[in-house]
Amino acid sequence: MVGLSEGEKHFIRGGIAQDLRSDGRKRLQFRSISVETGVIPQANGSARVRLGATDVIASIKAELGKPSILRPDKGKVSIFVDCSPTAAPMFEGRGGEELSNDLSVALQRCLLGGTSGAGAGIDLSSLIIVDGKVCWDLYIDGLVISSDGNLLDALAAAIKVALSNTGIPKVSVLGASSDEQPDVDVSDEEFLQFDTSGVPVIVTLTKVGRHYIVDATSEEESQMSSAISVSVNRRGQICGLTKRGGAGLDPSVVLDMISVANSVSQQLITVLDSEIAAAEASEE
Amino acid sequence: MGNTRVIVAVYGPREVQNKSQQNNNQALVRCEYSMANFSTGDRTRRQKGDRRSTEISLVIRQTMEASILTHLMPRSQIDIFVQVLQADGGTRSACINAATLALADAGIPMRDIVTSCTAGYLCSTPLLDLNYVEDSAGGPDVTVGILSKMDKVTLLQMDAKLPMDIFENVMQLAIEGCKAIANYIREVLLENTKQLESRRGG
Repeated sequence: MVGLSEGEKHFIRGGIAQDLRSDGRKRLQFRSISVETGVIPQANGSARVRLGATDVIASIKAELGKPSILRPDKGKVSIFVDCSPTAAPMFEGRGGEELSNDLSVALQRCLLGGTSGAGAGIDLSSLIIVDGKVCWDLYIDGLVISSDGNLLDALAAAIKVALSNTGIPKVSVLGASSDEQPDVDVSDEEFLQFDTSGVPVIVTLTKVGRHYIVDATSEEESQMSSAISVSVNRRGQICGLTKRGGAGLDPSVVLDMISVANSVSQQLITVLDSEIAAAEASEE
Repeated sequence: MGNTRVIVAVYGPREVQNKSQQNNNQALVRCEYSMANFSTGDRTRRQKGDRRSTEISLVIRQTMEASILTHLMPRSQIDIFVQVLQADGGTRSACINAATLALADAGIPMRDIVTSCTAGYLCSTPLLDLNYVEDSAGGPDVTVGILSKMDKVTLLQMDAKLPMDIFENVMQLAIEGCKAIANYIREVLLENTKQLESRRGG
Protein backbone atom coordinates (compact mmCIF):
# COMPACT_ATOMS: atom_id res chain seq x y z
CA MET A 1 0.00 0.00 0.00
CA VAL A 2 1.39 3.32 -1.03
CA GLY A 3 1.56 5.98 1.62
CA LEU A 4 -1.27 8.50 1.84
CA SER A 5 -0.80 12.22 1.51
CA GLU A 6 -2.34 14.66 3.97
CA GLY A 7 -4.93 15.63 1.39
CA GLU A 8 -5.97 12.04 0.86
CA LYS A 9 -6.24 11.40 4.59
CA HIS A 10 -8.39 14.48 4.98
CA PHE A 11 -10.56 13.34 2.08
CA ILE A 12 -11.12 9.90 3.62
CA ARG A 13 -11.98 11.27 7.04
CA GLY A 14 -14.24 13.94 5.61
CA GLY A 15 -16.05 11.44 3.42
CA ILE A 16 -16.74 9.16 6.34
CA ALA A 17 -18.07 12.05 8.38
CA GLN A 18 -20.52 12.83 5.58
CA ASP A 19 -21.64 9.23 5.05
CA LEU A 20 -20.08 9.07 1.60
CA ARG A 21 -16.92 7.00 1.39
CA SER A 22 -14.24 7.06 -1.29
CA ASP A 23 -15.86 4.29 -3.28
CA GLY A 24 -19.37 5.70 -2.93
CA ARG A 25 -20.54 3.43 -0.15
CA LYS A 26 -22.49 4.45 2.90
CA ARG A 27 -20.89 3.97 6.29
CA LEU A 28 -22.71 0.73 7.04
CA GLN A 29 -22.53 -0.82 3.61
CA PHE A 30 -20.47 -3.86 2.70
CA ARG A 31 -18.57 -4.25 -0.53
CA SER A 32 -19.93 -6.81 -2.96
CA ILE A 33 -19.21 -10.32 -1.75
CA SER A 34 -18.50 -13.14 -4.17
CA VAL A 35 -18.31 -16.70 -2.92
CA GLU A 36 -16.94 -19.87 -4.52
CA THR A 37 -17.08 -23.28 -2.92
CA GLY A 38 -15.02 -26.38 -3.45
CA VAL A 39 -11.93 -24.54 -4.67
CA ILE A 40 -9.61 -27.10 -3.04
CA PRO A 41 -10.91 -30.49 -4.13
CA GLN A 42 -8.37 -32.32 -1.94
CA ALA A 43 -9.82 -30.83 1.23
CA ASN A 44 -13.01 -31.90 2.95
CA GLY A 45 -14.44 -28.45 2.46
CA SER A 46 -13.19 -25.19 1.04
CA ALA A 47 -14.36 -21.76 0.03
CA ARG A 48 -12.99 -18.62 -1.53
CA VAL A 49 -14.50 -15.28 -0.56
CA ARG A 50 -13.86 -12.02 -2.36
CA LEU A 51 -14.79 -8.81 -0.57
CA GLY A 52 -13.87 -6.08 -3.01
CA ALA A 53 -10.13 -6.56 -3.54
CA THR A 54 -9.69 -8.69 -0.42
CA ASP A 55 -9.40 -12.35 -1.42
CA VAL A 56 -9.19 -15.20 1.08
CA ILE A 57 -9.41 -18.98 0.90
CA ALA A 58 -10.49 -21.23 3.75
CA SER A 59 -9.93 -24.95 3.66
CA ILE A 60 -11.08 -27.59 6.10
CA LYS A 61 -9.42 -30.96 6.52
CA ALA A 62 -10.67 -33.63 8.83
CA GLU A 63 -8.35 -36.24 10.26
CA LEU A 64 -8.89 -38.93 12.82
CA GLY A 65 -7.49 -38.15 16.23
CA LYS A 66 -7.82 -38.69 19.92
CA PRO A 67 -10.01 -36.34 21.96
CA SER A 68 -8.43 -34.47 24.83
CA ILE A 69 -8.75 -36.01 28.26
CA LEU A 70 -10.53 -32.98 29.65
CA ARG A 71 -13.24 -33.15 27.02
CA PRO A 72 -13.67 -36.74 25.93
CA ASP A 73 -17.01 -36.14 24.29
CA LYS A 74 -15.94 -33.38 21.96
CA GLY A 75 -13.88 -33.30 18.78
CA LYS A 76 -11.02 -30.87 18.25
CA VAL A 77 -10.81 -27.90 15.94
CA SER A 78 -7.77 -25.79 15.27
CA ILE A 79 -7.70 -22.62 13.22
CA PHE A 80 -4.59 -21.29 11.49
CA VAL A 81 -4.33 -18.30 9.24
CA ASP A 82 -1.46 -17.68 6.85
CA CYS A 83 -0.84 -14.37 5.12
CA SER A 84 0.62 -15.16 1.74
CA PRO A 85 3.34 -12.84 0.41
CA THR A 86 1.23 -12.49 -2.73
CA ALA A 87 -1.06 -10.27 -0.70
CA ALA A 88 1.56 -7.71 0.19
CA PRO A 89 5.34 -7.68 -0.16
CA MET A 90 5.74 -7.05 3.54
CA PHE A 91 4.36 -10.51 4.26
CA GLU A 92 7.36 -12.27 2.80
CA GLY A 93 9.53 -14.41 4.98
CA ARG A 94 8.26 -14.01 8.52
CA GLY A 95 6.82 -10.56 7.99
CA GLY A 96 3.24 -11.75 7.98
CA GLU A 97 3.60 -13.84 11.11
CA GLU A 98 2.34 -11.29 13.59
CA LEU A 99 -0.75 -10.53 11.58
CA SER A 100 -1.37 -14.24 10.98
CA ASN A 101 -1.21 -15.00 14.68
CA ASP A 102 -3.46 -12.06 15.45
CA LEU A 103 -6.09 -13.25 12.97
CA SER A 104 -5.83 -16.89 14.08
CA VAL A 105 -6.36 -16.03 17.73
CA ALA A 106 -9.26 -13.68 16.98
CA LEU A 107 -10.97 -16.36 14.89
CA GLN A 108 -10.41 -18.96 17.56
CA ARG A 109 -11.91 -16.69 20.15
CA CYS A 110 -15.00 -16.03 18.06
CA LEU A 111 -15.65 -19.52 16.76
CA LEU A 112 -14.41 -21.88 19.39
CA GLY A 113 -15.78 -20.48 22.61
CA GLY A 114 -14.09 -20.48 25.97
CA THR A 115 -11.38 -22.76 27.27
CA SER A 116 -13.91 -25.25 28.52
CA GLY A 117 -15.24 -25.65 25.02
CA ALA A 118 -18.64 -24.40 26.01
CA GLY A 119 -20.48 -21.97 23.78
CA ALA A 120 -18.57 -22.80 20.65
CA GLY A 121 -20.05 -21.68 17.37
CA ILE A 122 -19.19 -25.03 15.87
CA ASP A 123 -20.88 -27.98 17.50
CA LEU A 124 -17.90 -30.01 18.70
CA SER A 125 -19.90 -32.95 19.98
CA SER A 126 -20.93 -33.79 16.43
CA LEU A 127 -17.28 -34.59 15.75
CA ILE A 128 -16.97 -37.41 18.22
CA ILE A 129 -16.82 -41.00 17.01
CA VAL A 130 -16.02 -43.05 20.08
CA ASP A 131 -16.15 -41.25 23.39
CA GLY A 132 -12.73 -40.76 24.83
CA LYS A 133 -10.94 -42.66 22.09
CA VAL A 134 -11.54 -41.48 18.55
CA CYS A 135 -12.76 -38.18 17.26
CA TRP A 136 -12.41 -35.97 14.25
CA ASP A 137 -9.73 -33.31 14.28
CA LEU A 138 -10.78 -30.41 12.11
CA TYR A 139 -7.98 -28.29 10.74
CA ILE A 140 -9.28 -24.99 9.43
CA ASP A 141 -6.68 -23.17 7.36
CA GLY A 142 -7.14 -19.65 6.13
CA LEU A 143 -4.98 -18.16 3.43
CA VAL A 144 -4.98 -14.47 2.60
CA ILE A 145 -4.23 -14.07 -1.08
CA SER A 146 -4.96 -10.41 -1.55
CA SER A 147 -5.41 -7.87 1.18
CA ASP A 148 -7.49 -4.69 0.99
CA GLY A 149 -8.75 -4.35 4.50
CA ASN A 150 -11.29 -6.23 6.60
CA LEU A 151 -9.45 -9.53 6.63
CA LEU A 152 -11.20 -10.82 9.73
CA ASP A 153 -14.70 -10.52 8.29
CA ALA A 154 -13.65 -12.12 5.02
CA LEU A 155 -11.94 -15.00 6.81
CA ALA A 156 -14.91 -15.65 9.07
CA ALA A 157 -17.25 -15.62 6.06
CA ALA A 158 -14.94 -18.00 4.19
CA ILE A 159 -14.85 -20.36 7.16
CA LYS A 160 -18.63 -20.33 7.42
CA VAL A 161 -19.05 -21.12 3.74
CA ALA A 162 -16.32 -23.75 3.82
CA LEU A 163 -18.02 -25.45 6.76
CA SER A 164 -21.27 -25.57 4.83
CA ASN A 165 -19.34 -27.21 2.00
CA THR A 166 -17.60 -29.72 4.28
CA GLY A 167 -18.37 -33.39 4.12
CA ILE A 168 -17.17 -35.58 6.95
CA PRO A 169 -16.90 -39.22 5.85
CA LYS A 170 -19.20 -41.68 7.51
CA VAL A 171 -17.37 -43.82 10.01
CA SER A 172 -18.33 -47.24 11.26
CA VAL A 173 -16.65 -48.59 14.35
CA LEU A 174 -15.46 -52.17 14.13
CA GLY A 175 -14.69 -54.37 17.08
CA ALA A 176 -13.65 -52.15 19.94
CA SER A 177 -11.66 -53.57 22.81
CA SER A 178 -11.86 -51.60 25.99
CA ASP A 179 -8.34 -50.13 26.27
CA GLU A 180 -6.93 -50.08 22.78
CA GLN A 181 -7.81 -47.83 19.91
CA PRO A 182 -10.91 -49.21 18.24
CA ASP A 183 -10.65 -49.85 14.54
CA VAL A 184 -12.64 -47.49 12.49
CA ASP A 185 -13.63 -47.90 8.93
CA VAL A 186 -13.77 -44.62 7.05
CA SER A 187 -16.14 -44.85 4.16
CA ASP A 188 -15.21 -43.33 0.84
CA GLU A 189 -18.72 -42.24 0.19
CA GLU A 190 -19.29 -39.24 2.31
CA PHE A 191 -20.91 -37.49 4.09
CA LEU A 192 -22.29 -35.81 7.00
CA GLN A 193 -22.94 -32.25 6.00
CA PHE A 194 -22.04 -29.79 8.64
CA ASP A 195 -24.75 -27.83 10.32
CA THR A 196 -23.70 -24.23 9.92
CA SER A 197 -26.75 -22.45 11.21
CA GLY A 198 -25.01 -21.87 14.50
CA VAL A 199 -21.74 -20.64 13.00
CA PRO A 200 -21.28 -16.93 13.64
CA VAL A 201 -20.01 -14.26 11.28
CA ILE A 202 -17.74 -11.44 12.28
CA VAL A 203 -18.49 -7.80 11.63
CA THR A 204 -15.69 -5.32 12.17
CA LEU A 205 -16.63 -1.76 12.97
CA THR A 206 -13.82 0.71 12.42
CA LYS A 207 -13.97 4.03 14.18
CA VAL A 208 -12.62 6.94 12.15
CA GLY A 209 -13.05 10.32 13.76
CA ARG A 210 -16.46 10.29 15.40
CA HIS A 211 -18.17 7.75 13.14
CA TYR A 212 -17.92 4.05 12.58
CA ILE A 213 -17.76 2.26 9.26
CA VAL A 214 -18.28 -1.30 8.26
CA ASP A 215 -15.91 -3.17 5.91
CA ALA A 216 -13.01 -0.75 5.79
CA THR A 217 -10.54 -0.83 2.92
CA SER A 218 -6.88 -0.76 3.84
CA GLU A 219 -6.72 3.00 3.18
CA GLU A 220 -9.60 3.59 5.58
CA GLU A 221 -8.05 1.21 8.11
CA SER A 222 -4.88 3.28 8.13
CA GLN A 223 -6.97 6.19 9.42
CA MET A 224 -8.74 4.32 12.19
CA SER A 225 -8.48 5.20 15.82
CA SER A 226 -9.84 1.88 17.03
CA ALA A 227 -11.88 -1.04 15.79
CA ILE A 228 -14.20 -3.56 17.35
CA SER A 229 -14.82 -6.95 15.79
CA VAL A 230 -18.06 -8.52 16.91
CA SER A 231 -18.99 -12.08 16.20
CA VAL A 232 -22.75 -12.62 15.94
CA ASN A 233 -24.73 -15.72 15.07
CA ARG A 234 -28.10 -16.00 13.37
CA ARG A 235 -30.03 -15.75 16.60
CA GLY A 236 -28.47 -12.41 17.31
CA GLN A 237 -26.30 -13.70 20.10
CA ILE A 238 -22.82 -12.34 20.48
CA CYS A 239 -20.18 -15.03 20.29
CA GLY A 240 -17.00 -13.04 20.65
CA LEU A 241 -15.52 -9.57 20.81
CA THR A 242 -12.15 -8.13 19.95
CA LYS A 243 -11.03 -4.56 20.25
CA ARG A 244 -8.04 -3.34 18.33
CA GLY A 245 -6.34 -0.02 18.18
CA GLY A 246 -4.86 2.17 20.86
CA ALA A 247 -7.51 4.83 21.28
CA GLY A 248 -9.76 4.53 24.28
CA LEU A 249 -13.49 4.17 23.74
CA ASP A 250 -16.28 5.45 25.89
CA PRO A 251 -18.34 2.50 27.22
CA SER A 252 -21.56 3.90 25.75
CA VAL A 253 -19.87 4.10 22.37
CA VAL A 254 -18.82 0.48 22.72
CA LEU A 255 -22.38 -0.61 23.45
CA ASP A 256 -23.65 1.41 20.53
CA MET A 257 -21.09 -0.15 18.20
CA ILE A 258 -22.11 -3.60 19.36
CA SER A 259 -25.77 -3.00 18.61
CA VAL A 260 -24.93 -1.55 15.19
CA ALA A 261 -22.76 -4.59 14.48
CA ASN A 262 -25.65 -6.82 15.50
CA SER A 263 -28.06 -5.31 12.98
CA VAL A 264 -25.48 -5.23 10.18
CA SER A 265 -24.54 -8.84 10.83
CA GLN A 266 -28.08 -10.03 10.22
CA GLN A 267 -27.87 -8.58 6.70
CA LEU A 268 -24.47 -10.19 6.19
CA ILE A 269 -25.77 -13.57 7.34
CA THR A 270 -28.68 -13.32 4.91
CA VAL A 271 -26.36 -12.46 2.03
CA LEU A 272 -23.96 -15.28 2.90
CA ASP A 273 -26.75 -17.81 3.26
CA SER A 274 -28.14 -16.94 -0.15
CA GLU A 275 -24.66 -17.19 -1.66
CA ILE A 276 -24.16 -20.58 -0.03
CA ALA A 277 -27.50 -21.78 -1.36
CA ALA A 278 -26.63 -20.50 -4.84
CA ALA A 279 -23.28 -22.24 -4.75
CA GLU A 280 -24.84 -25.50 -3.62
CA ALA A 281 -27.47 -25.28 -6.31
CA SER A 282 -24.91 -24.67 -9.02
CA GLU A 283 -22.90 -27.66 -7.81
CA GLU A 284 -25.75 -30.08 -8.40
CA MET B 1 -1.75 -27.66 -14.51
CA GLY B 2 -4.17 -30.45 -13.82
CA ASN B 3 -4.77 -30.51 -10.09
CA THR B 4 -1.73 -28.42 -9.30
CA ARG B 5 -2.87 -24.87 -8.56
CA VAL B 6 -0.48 -22.00 -8.13
CA ILE B 7 -0.84 -18.23 -7.71
CA VAL B 8 2.03 -15.89 -8.52
CA ALA B 9 2.19 -12.21 -7.62
CA VAL B 10 4.85 -9.90 -9.03
CA TYR B 11 5.76 -6.65 -7.27
CA GLY B 12 8.06 -4.23 -9.00
CA PRO B 13 10.19 -2.83 -10.35
CA ARG B 14 10.38 -0.83 -7.16
CA GLU B 15 12.96 0.62 -4.84
CA VAL B 16 15.37 -1.84 -3.28
CA GLN B 17 14.42 -2.57 0.33
CA ASN B 18 17.83 -3.74 1.44
CA LYS B 19 20.28 -1.09 0.27
CA SER B 20 23.26 -3.35 0.74
CA GLN B 21 21.98 -5.65 -2.00
CA GLN B 22 21.39 -2.87 -4.46
CA ASN B 23 23.04 -3.37 -7.81
CA ASN B 24 23.91 -0.28 -9.81
CA ASN B 25 23.90 -2.05 -13.15
CA GLN B 26 20.82 -4.21 -13.04
CA ALA B 27 17.61 -5.04 -11.25
CA LEU B 28 17.58 -7.36 -8.27
CA VAL B 29 15.25 -10.30 -8.74
CA ARG B 30 13.89 -11.98 -5.61
CA CYS B 31 11.60 -14.91 -5.33
CA GLU B 32 9.74 -16.58 -2.50
CA TYR B 33 7.98 -19.91 -2.75
CA SER B 34 5.41 -20.93 -0.16
CA MET B 35 3.03 -23.83 0.08
CA ALA B 36 -0.33 -23.53 1.75
CA ASN B 37 -1.02 -25.75 4.73
CA PHE B 38 -3.76 -27.50 2.83
CA SER B 39 -1.85 -27.95 -0.41
CA THR B 40 -0.74 -31.55 0.01
CA GLY B 41 -2.78 -34.66 0.70
CA ASP B 42 -2.01 -34.77 4.40
CA ARG B 43 -2.19 -31.38 5.94
CA THR B 44 1.17 -30.34 7.35
CA ARG B 45 2.11 -27.12 9.00
CA ARG B 46 4.78 -25.66 6.78
CA GLN B 47 7.72 -23.91 8.26
CA LYS B 48 8.66 -20.80 6.34
CA GLY B 49 12.19 -21.08 5.03
CA ASP B 50 12.51 -24.84 5.03
CA ARG B 51 15.06 -26.34 2.66
CA ARG B 52 12.74 -27.38 -0.14
CA SER B 53 11.11 -23.94 -0.28
CA THR B 54 14.50 -22.23 -0.35
CA GLU B 55 15.73 -24.49 -3.12
CA ILE B 56 12.68 -24.01 -5.28
CA SER B 57 12.78 -20.25 -4.68
CA LEU B 58 16.37 -20.23 -5.89
CA VAL B 59 15.54 -22.33 -8.94
CA ILE B 60 12.66 -20.09 -9.98
CA ARG B 61 14.70 -16.97 -9.41
CA GLN B 62 17.59 -18.17 -11.54
CA THR B 63 15.28 -19.31 -14.31
CA MET B 64 13.38 -16.02 -14.47
CA GLU B 65 16.52 -13.94 -14.10
CA ALA B 66 17.89 -15.48 -17.27
CA SER B 67 14.94 -14.08 -19.16
CA ILE B 68 14.27 -10.69 -17.54
CA LEU B 69 16.13 -7.77 -19.12
CA THR B 70 17.54 -6.67 -15.80
CA HIS B 71 19.98 -4.13 -17.24
CA LEU B 72 17.01 -1.94 -18.21
CA MET B 73 16.07 -1.39 -14.59
CA PRO B 74 19.18 -0.71 -12.51
CA ARG B 75 18.96 -0.04 -8.79
CA SER B 76 15.51 -1.57 -8.58
CA GLN B 77 13.97 -4.74 -7.25
CA ILE B 78 11.50 -7.20 -8.72
CA ASP B 79 9.74 -9.56 -6.30
CA ILE B 80 8.14 -12.78 -7.45
CA PHE B 81 5.91 -14.40 -4.81
CA VAL B 82 4.68 -17.89 -5.50
CA GLN B 83 1.88 -19.46 -3.48
CA VAL B 84 0.97 -23.09 -4.03
CA LEU B 85 -2.70 -23.77 -3.36
CA GLN B 86 -2.75 -27.40 -4.34
CA ALA B 87 0.19 -29.65 -5.12
CA ASP B 88 -0.22 -32.66 -7.39
CA GLY B 89 3.20 -33.11 -8.98
CA GLY B 90 5.05 -30.70 -11.27
CA THR B 91 4.79 -27.78 -8.84
CA ARG B 92 8.12 -26.38 -9.95
CA SER B 93 6.96 -26.25 -13.57
CA ALA B 94 3.58 -24.78 -12.73
CA CYS B 95 5.33 -22.07 -10.70
CA ILE B 96 7.64 -21.11 -13.56
CA ASN B 97 4.79 -20.97 -16.08
CA ALA B 98 2.71 -18.88 -13.72
CA ALA B 99 5.68 -16.60 -13.01
CA THR B 100 6.13 -15.99 -16.74
CA LEU B 101 2.48 -14.96 -17.05
CA ALA B 102 2.68 -12.75 -13.98
CA LEU B 103 5.81 -10.98 -15.24
CA ALA B 104 4.19 -10.43 -18.63
CA ASP B 105 1.07 -9.10 -16.90
CA ALA B 106 3.28 -6.72 -14.91
CA GLY B 107 4.82 -5.44 -18.12
CA ILE B 108 8.35 -6.35 -17.11
CA PRO B 109 10.58 -6.62 -20.19
CA MET B 110 11.72 -10.18 -20.88
CA ARG B 111 13.86 -11.79 -23.57
CA ASP B 112 11.45 -14.63 -24.17
CA ILE B 113 8.65 -16.67 -22.62
CA VAL B 114 10.05 -19.18 -20.13
CA THR B 115 8.07 -22.36 -19.86
CA SER B 116 8.71 -25.53 -17.97
CA CYS B 117 7.48 -29.09 -18.00
CA THR B 118 8.35 -32.40 -16.39
CA ALA B 119 8.74 -35.79 -17.97
CA GLY B 120 9.48 -39.21 -16.57
CA TYR B 121 10.08 -42.79 -17.54
CA LEU B 122 7.88 -45.57 -16.14
CA CYS B 123 7.25 -49.07 -17.47
CA SER B 124 9.59 -48.43 -20.41
CA THR B 125 7.50 -45.49 -21.58
CA PRO B 126 8.46 -41.84 -21.47
CA LEU B 127 5.63 -39.94 -19.74
CA LEU B 128 4.90 -36.22 -19.95
CA ASP B 129 3.87 -34.09 -16.94
CA LEU B 130 3.88 -36.54 -14.04
CA ASN B 131 1.37 -36.11 -11.28
CA TYR B 132 2.08 -36.86 -7.62
CA VAL B 133 1.19 -40.55 -7.80
CA GLU B 134 3.33 -41.15 -10.87
CA ASP B 135 6.16 -39.16 -9.37
CA SER B 136 6.18 -41.23 -6.19
CA ALA B 137 6.29 -44.43 -8.21
CA GLY B 138 10.06 -44.27 -8.05
CA GLY B 139 10.93 -43.60 -11.68
CA PRO B 140 13.12 -40.73 -12.81
CA ASP B 141 11.68 -37.22 -13.02
CA VAL B 142 13.20 -34.71 -15.43
CA THR B 143 12.26 -31.03 -15.12
CA VAL B 144 13.11 -28.85 -18.10
CA GLY B 145 12.72 -25.10 -18.50
CA ILE B 146 13.26 -23.46 -21.87
CA LEU B 147 13.23 -20.07 -23.54
CA SER B 148 10.69 -21.01 -26.14
CA LYS B 149 11.53 -18.90 -29.22
CA MET B 150 15.27 -18.97 -28.68
CA ASP B 151 15.13 -22.72 -28.03
CA LYS B 152 17.58 -22.56 -25.13
CA VAL B 153 17.41 -24.63 -21.98
CA THR B 154 17.56 -22.58 -18.77
CA LEU B 155 16.58 -25.20 -16.22
CA LEU B 156 17.42 -28.88 -16.13
CA GLN B 157 16.96 -31.06 -13.08
CA MET B 158 16.63 -34.77 -12.68
CA ASP B 159 16.48 -37.31 -9.91
CA ALA B 160 16.93 -41.09 -9.97
CA LYS B 161 18.97 -42.73 -12.70
CA LEU B 162 18.37 -43.09 -16.39
CA PRO B 163 20.47 -44.54 -19.25
CA MET B 164 21.87 -41.87 -21.56
CA ASP B 165 19.90 -42.72 -24.72
CA ILE B 166 16.58 -42.87 -22.86
CA PHE B 167 17.48 -39.60 -21.15
CA GLU B 168 17.69 -37.88 -24.53
CA ASN B 169 14.20 -39.13 -25.43
CA VAL B 170 12.72 -38.05 -22.15
CA MET B 171 14.32 -34.63 -22.35
CA GLN B 172 13.07 -34.16 -25.92
CA LEU B 173 9.59 -35.05 -24.75
CA ALA B 174 9.79 -32.51 -21.96
CA ILE B 175 11.01 -29.84 -24.37
CA GLU B 176 8.09 -30.53 -26.69
CA GLY B 177 5.78 -30.21 -23.71
CA CYS B 178 7.36 -26.86 -22.90
CA LYS B 179 6.82 -25.64 -26.45
CA ALA B 180 3.16 -26.64 -26.35
CA ILE B 181 2.74 -24.73 -23.09
CA ALA B 182 4.55 -21.74 -24.62
CA ASN B 183 2.05 -21.67 -27.50
CA TYR B 184 -0.83 -21.77 -25.07
CA ILE B 185 0.66 -19.01 -22.92
CA ARG B 186 1.24 -16.87 -26.00
CA GLU B 187 -2.42 -17.25 -27.02
CA VAL B 188 -3.59 -16.35 -23.52
CA LEU B 189 -1.38 -13.24 -23.46
CA LEU B 190 -2.61 -12.14 -26.90
CA GLU B 191 -6.20 -12.59 -25.81
CA ASN B 192 -5.52 -10.57 -22.67
CA THR B 193 -3.87 -7.77 -24.64
CA LYS B 194 -6.81 -7.64 -27.04
CA GLN B 195 -9.19 -7.27 -24.12
CA LEU B 196 -7.09 -4.51 -22.61
CA GLU B 197 -6.94 -2.79 -25.95
CA SER B 198 -10.70 -2.92 -26.41
CA ARG B 199 -11.27 -1.60 -22.89
CA ARG B 200 -8.92 1.24 -23.63
CA GLY B 201 -10.98 2.01 -26.70
CA GLY B 202 -8.20 1.21 -29.15
